[in-house]
Amino acid sequence: MELKNKFERAVVLFILFAGGLLVSLPFIWMILSSFKNDREVLSIPPTLFPENPTFQHYIELFQNLNFGVYLINTLIIVLFSMFGLLLNTMAGYGFGKFDFRFKEGWFMIVLITMMIPGQVTMIPTYLILNEMGLTNTMAGIILPGLIAAFNIFLIRQFMVTVPDDLIEAARLDGAGEFYIFFKLIIPLAKPILAVQVILTFIASWNSFLWPLIVANDESLYTLSVGLALLQDENVTNYGLQMAGSAFMVVPIVVIFMIFQKYIVEGFNVSGIK
Amino acid sequence: MKQKRLGFLLVVMLGAMLVLGACSSGGSSGGSADEDTITVWTMTPELEDFVKEYEDESGVKVEVQAIPWDNAHDKLLTAVASGKGPDVLQIGTTWVAEFAEAGTFLDLSDYIDEYPNFNPDNFYESAVETTKYDGQTIGIPWYVDTRVLYYRTDLLEEVGYPEGPETWDDVKDAATQLAARGDDQYGIEIPQVDQNFPFMLAWEQGWQYEEGEGAANFEKPGFKEGVELHHTFFEEGMAQLTEGKQLYQAFSDGSKPMFFSGPWEINSINEQIPELEGQWDVHVMPEAENNNSMIGGAHWTVFNNTDKVDQALDFINWMADPETQVAWYDTVTELPANMEAWEDPKLAEDEKISTFGEQLESTQAVPVIPEFETMAQELIDTLEQINRNDADIDEALEEYRNQVSSILSK
Amino acid sequence: MNKSKFNITPFLFIGPAVLLLFVFSFAPILVSLGISFTDMNLSGLANWSQINFVGLDNFIQLFQDEKFLQAMGNTFFYVIIGVPLAVASSLLIAVLLNFFNNWVSSTFRVVYYVPSITNIVAIAVVWSFLYNQEYGLFNYLLSLINVDSVPWLEEPVVARLSLILLAVWKSNGVSMLIFLAALQSIPKIYYEAADIDGANRWHKFFKITLPSMSFATFFVTVTTLIGWLQFFEEPFVMTNGGPLNGTNSMALFIYQEGFQYSQFGYGAAASFVLFAIVIVATLVQFKLRKTD
Repeated sequence: MELKNKFERAVVLFILFAGGLLVSLPFIWMILSSFKNDREVLSIPPTLFPENPTFQHYIELFQNLNFGVYLINTLIIVLFSMFGLLLNTMAGYGFGKFDFRFKEGWFMIVLITMMIPGQVTMIPTYLILNEMGLTNTMAGIILPGLIAAFNIFLIRQFMVTVPDDLIEAARLDGAGEFYIFFKLIIPLAKPILAVQVILTFIASWNSFLWPLIVANDESLYTLSVGLALLQDENVTNYGLQMAGSAFMVVPIVVIFMIFQKYIVEGFNVSGIK
Repeated sequence: MKQKRLGFLLVVMLGAMLVLGACSSGGSSGGSADEDTITVWTMTPELEDFVKEYEDESGVKVEVQAIPWDNAHDKLLTAVASGKGPDVLQIGTTWVAEFAEAGTFLDLSDYIDEYPNFNPDNFYESAVETTKYDGQTIGIPWYVDTRVLYYRTDLLEEVGYPEGPETWDDVKDAATQLAARGDDQYGIEIPQVDQNFPFMLAWEQGWQYEEGEGAANFEKPGFKEGVELHHTFFEEGMAQLTEGKQLYQAFSDGSKPMFFSGPWEINSINEQIPELEGQWDVHVMPEAENNNSMIGGAHWTVFNNTDKVDQALDFINWMADPETQVAWYDTVTELPANMEAWEDPKLAEDEKISTFGEQLESTQAVPVIPEFETMAQELIDTLEQINRNDADIDEALEEYRNQVSSILSK
Repeated sequence: MNKSKFNITPFLFIGPAVLLLFVFSFAPILVSLGISFTDMNLSGLANWSQINFVGLDNFIQLFQDEKFLQAMGNTFFYVIIGVPLAVASSLLIAVLLNFFNNWVSSTFRVVYYVPSITNIVAIAVVWSFLYNQEYGLFNYLLSLINVDSVPWLEEPVVARLSLILLAVWKSNGVSMLIFLAALQSIPKIYYEAADIDGANRWHKFFKITLPSMSFATFFVTVTTLIGWLQFFEEPFVMTNGGPLNGTNSMALFIYQEGFQYSQFGYGAAASFVLFAIVIVATLVQFKLRKTD
């Protein structure tokens, strides 16, 4: 579908601009507030631009945060989460493109894991990790979050739309199943995978609960846990919190910018429904 | 070929994971395996640098693990569930009962005499009260916390209370005058979600909670008087019911010249509204039958599974020392639980802090029972019904008593 | 595929993920289901011999707990109004963005995704100001056109609607991305063919666009529904369930009654009531889709 003329273009652009402003206001406020002193952060009506810009919160952040260790831990988790994404993609493909016994039952098990609030299963999950001897290990931090039903479901939904003929043709050419998956399916799934990479990155970059629960040692903490430690019991330091969030959000925006263009690319393969 | 390479990749990845696991799985049960190392869980990260002095003195290595406040409860739950905890842990006064009931802590009763700094006479009586559960002593007080009245000296002077209101009648009189200044002007900020505040009001009307009496406690007259007092402020427009402005803004522009809060607020006000200097002060709680405030703060406890009891107790003994407590006050402005520490000029010569010291003499603890939090939350809901929904006080309280009996019978 | 003989291939694909999910997500759910029939609390957690089997007591008690019933009613209120709004608004944004294929779309893709990556505290502070009854921006704007101040967060029904507005605002990002990816996958030929037939824009939207992206719409609807049934964060940070329990949701109830107060048995029972609702809603959607 395309817009017919300049006027329509202008109208749609205007709507997008107005909506965009509304949607990004708290974000802009968050960034700008990281340069405000604490009193200004909460003043009513709020100020948008800091009256007396200060870098105090950023200085505090970098002085008090045990950066090196936390950053490495966070990056390890991100790395493994991408491996988890591969497993999710494989499973989504399996559910979308194969027939096997009890397929719907297996898939229901996957979906069910989305249907219970996380806090309910926190303690049982911890006890399982404990039985496996994985408390206070990196593996214990990574494993519970590695697989996400949401991702499997999304990929499955996409895979259903990939024509069977395409895969059959490749099989007739003698291609192995994994060859088909990596050389045919993954390139085809680029847009949906781009979405997945973004979501997976954000989730693992912000990982908080499991590093905190599983670690019996600060050497396994992540950046998010480190940031949470800077908060006082009684006095919320909003400026510092905003600086922390602003700092954490930079890599997310970068990853988003890189991968969002794949969302609209690809799909040159003709004949896809 | 391709397929094999992928298989290889998978094996490598999974292998890497197991290695990762194996590498870091050092200490198995509670704390570290090393004789001369103890692990300590705290919610105050500043402790990490603070314990260096102790490490030098004692030769024991203290591994401090800081835990964010908001998630400390979850972290403690998993420690209780698996039996894998630290050697020493900080516990807030409000969590004592539920975790003590679950047997999380070592009973320290037999050790009290062994360490000079554990003597209960060293500490505020109400703080010691919150270390006791079911005949056991589960912790040694570390720092304390209480509530006092913050007020604008200039504005209170205008209505005849230059030194701040002494009694609840004074507060009502001053607040009525101040609220009459015009629209959007109030006399005082009254907490609506603070779990301790309604109990403080009741104590001050002479009410006491007796553990054996259960729900019948809330039939005693003082309790209703406390609830009525709470309601009066909203009913007569002395306090704002809706969200309104941020408190410091309202304190600074004078629209809310009185509020109740803890010691941390002194530094916050100095930092955030420095121009108000000389125009505000703190005063002990207003009096009716008495002026009792709540006691809060944190204790040091020993995790039940530890095999390093002596090292743990030695560390706690150091933390409980008056000198250490003064130094800790200097580091993060938490109030010492040890009364001797209050003789130090750093505390004694600070007028505002001394007011807290004076208030601490008349403090009491909320009931140390596991059901307290649920009970208090129901009370908050009941007050909301009265203040916002015009519920009849007698009926609402009767309903509350029913709730309490069902909570206590669980 | 030959169905008569066992084919290992699909299990190679789903095996690792399903295995991990089973151990770390599904097994804990089974454990919780067991817990829901007990009176487990903190003491029980520490010492399993203190846990008593109580049969259906927790469930019976739940359906007599006014607070829970109210939370359940509120949750239905959120879902019935919120889900259609959330799906429609993210679809609308995606469609509008899809009109452009230059800097506009790439910039606004980021912009519209931004609420998903904004710190929840920043969101709470800003929206609390917008909704502040005396000093908030919304009521100020309304006062300019002589409308009385609205108690955005101070009156139960209004507060629920306010939270829905906030949640829709916040939730658009991910669904929008999925819709965008789906929109891109619709071959241009379809539209060209329709143009030749002289179809108008609405016609094209309902006859080509929507059916071609039904896989995405289905996904977004199902996950949005599941998400909204577990509505938690907005009341948690904005109202804590108040005023008068009017914005409390089932997930928040579970958090407060079950886990803040360490009544694990009761909390687990409440989450299985929620679970039953979620699974029925999901199965209904799968059934509806089959009959399409």
